Amino acid sequence: MKFAIQRDQLMESVQDVMKAISSRTAIPILTGMKLEATTEGVKLTGSDSDISIESFIPAEEDGTVHIENIEPGSIVLQAKYFPDIVRKVPDNTVEIESDHTKNVTIRSGSAEFHLNGQDAEEYPSLPQLRTENSFDMPTDLLKRLIKQTGFAVSTSETRPILTGVHVSTEEENLQFVATDSHRLASRKISLETEETLNLPSVVIPGKSLSELNKILDDTGDSVQISITDNQILFRTKHLYFLSRLLEGNYPETSRLIPNESKTTVLIDSKELLQSVDRASLLAKENRNNVVRLLTKENNQIEIHGNSPEVGNVTEEVTADTIDGEELKISFSAKYMMDALRAIDATQVKISFTGAMRPFLITPVDDASILQLILPVRTY
Amino acid sequence: MERWSQLKETQPLAAQMLINSYDKDRMAHAYLFYGHRGTGKREAARLLAKTLFCPYTADTEPCQECRECRRIDSGNHPDLHWIIPDGASIKKEQILELQKEFTYTGLESDRKIYVVESADLMTVNASNRLLKFLEEPGRDTTAILLTENSEAILQTIRSRCQQIAFQPLNHERMRNYLMEEGISKSNAFLLSELTNNAEEAKEMLEGDWFANARKLVIQLTEVLQSKPNEALLFVNHQWMPHFSEKDTLQRGLDVLMLWYKDILHEHLAREEAVVFIQEQEKREQAMMRWSRAQVTSCMSGIMEAKRHIHQNVHPTLVMEQLTLQLQRC
Repeated sequence: MKFAIQRDQLMESVQDVMKAISSRTAIPILTGMKLEATTEGVKLTGSDSDISIESFIPAEEDGTVHIENIEPGSIVLQAKYFPDIVRKVPDNTVEIESDHTKNVTIRSGSAEFHLNGQDAEEYPSLPQLRTENSFDMPTDLLKRLIKQTGFAVSTSETRPILTGVHVSTEEENLQFVATDSHRLASRKISLETEETLNLPSVVIPGKSLSELNKILDDTGDSVQISITDNQILFRTKHLYFLSRLLEGNYPETSRLIPNESKTTVLIDSKELLQSVDRASLLAKENRNNVVRLLTKENNQIEIHGNSPEVGNVTEEVTADTIDGEELKISFSAKYMMDALRAIDATQVKISFTGAMRPFLITPVDDASILQLILPVRTY
Repeated sequence: MERWSQLKETQPLAAQMLINSYDKDRMAHAYLFYGHRGTGKREAARLLAKTLFCPYTADTEPCQECRECRRIDSGNHPDLHWIIPDGASIKKEQILELQKEFTYTGLESDRKIYVVESADLMTVNASNRLLKFLEEPGRDTTAILLTENSEAILQTIRSRCQQIAFQPLNHERMRNYLMEEGISKSNAFLLSELTNNAEEAKEMLEGDWFANARKLVIQLTEVLQSKPNEALLFVNHQWMPHFSEKDTLQRGLDVLMLWYKDILHEHLAREEAVVFIQEQEKREQAMMRWSRAQVTSCMSGIMEAKRHIHQNVHPTLVMEQLTLQLQRC
């Protein structure tokens, strides 16, 4: 394998790929970074077995030549040293060459490094992109989807399947659902595709999604998402992000969402968020962050936080409308705040079905986002 | 041991059982391989993994050359998880990691294999964790537990595995093999008792460590016979510096054990069973010093010492205690 590459291009790719490489891994080869040169360009791969990132540098793009003198081949290099070498080489061009004994020579200007490489055959082979079972989506929309559901995944390993976000399709709709069995976040979007999608339902680990969220830029460019038997692949222009999936059946969540409500409250989202935040100040430590909400006359809502050892806080917020029965309910302030932040609308609708039943938070005129919270029993 | 046909020679029963379950497509979800050191458990586990992963397996024999086989050999196969004790035991974290691994889909294939070496060294917490997913095996998941001491494994785990016994190798065969390899007769006798693994035997012979170990063992009993008061001094000055590591000390105690066994054989006039074949005279002297009952209690003392070492008791203290015990007998 041999090629000469622009340092800046290489550095950028190396930095992207490094995000997937972890120094402590059960499989020794994964401490390395795979370099693969073909006549079209150079592909770098990094993986910690849960997620894998591939970055492709085309040999030529819009008339600019990034890579020259390509002799195809592949090698695995120590990820501990390679990035630093690339960062610190003196010249703008880096020449990388490997011989049949897996010795790699990195030349730039007057500096010459010799690194011991490993056989690329040893590296796990990642699934290839397939055009069936795939669809496109704008990057910023995907990021928003992740932000609106990802926070609700379970952090406890007792039910591993709940540590993931359930992604399913139904006609043209794509739905993301996450729950930790105390709350549920769901977001539905319609995909503008011509043919009807028939994707398998998958559960993507929450951790992988938050990594993906970090890597993607907030742009309107489209991401191609494709699902294979055991991995999901997100593809932007030059970056491929792969994640393993969670195995098992995701619980049926649609039954959990109540259809009717006894009390409906329309309220300014920001005001409610701030007052819940204030009430939680005193409830944070020894009351499991539980606050109480009471409906009152004249569209008033009382938010109450109490911890007997410290003190208590009461605040009245004016709702836009309150319909239905009077209500006294307690819930986790953290869950409420997470939900309100995720919805990110000026006015929200909260539908209660009694103090012991889960309640629903949605934007007023949009049914695609939905946050469900289980109340806390108090006395 | 790279092929089933080779494994069949040394472990006919175990190999046949595994081959049959593969051929008839009746793989159990968990196996427990138990048997002495060097009986080929690890090789069998690796072979089984290759057989299951290799796409070119023909007649139960994996090809040994494809990417899958090569990566299993180098430890880089992403869907084969090999757990070895971290220090003196297998920790809960290691099993947790494994458990997490198994809630994910495979990286390359749907088949996953995990091998737990020295499964008896799992902490109770780790065992219980493992138990949970032995109870609910995923599809195409195979567990292989290896142990030298199957009794030390939780009953609940044992009952969930198909147990495959690895017979101790025939000492005579090993002995003849070592002698063919040009190892002296006396060393071959001793080594064949200490290990079942020819490679390991050859490794032990490298340098003069083994010859010295052998000499020290006999010297220790001589000191105990002639100048019992200096025995502790001997242990401190000669024995401990030589057997400074935990595992070398275990080895030393093994050799000491064999020597006492020989004395017992001498008592019983079982010349053919003797291991230290050159030390006729010294054995007879020792026989005068220790009666048959005393030899037995010495031997149980050595067993006790070995157990203490394993439990991380300070080696010097263990040796001193043992010396006093041998002195008293």
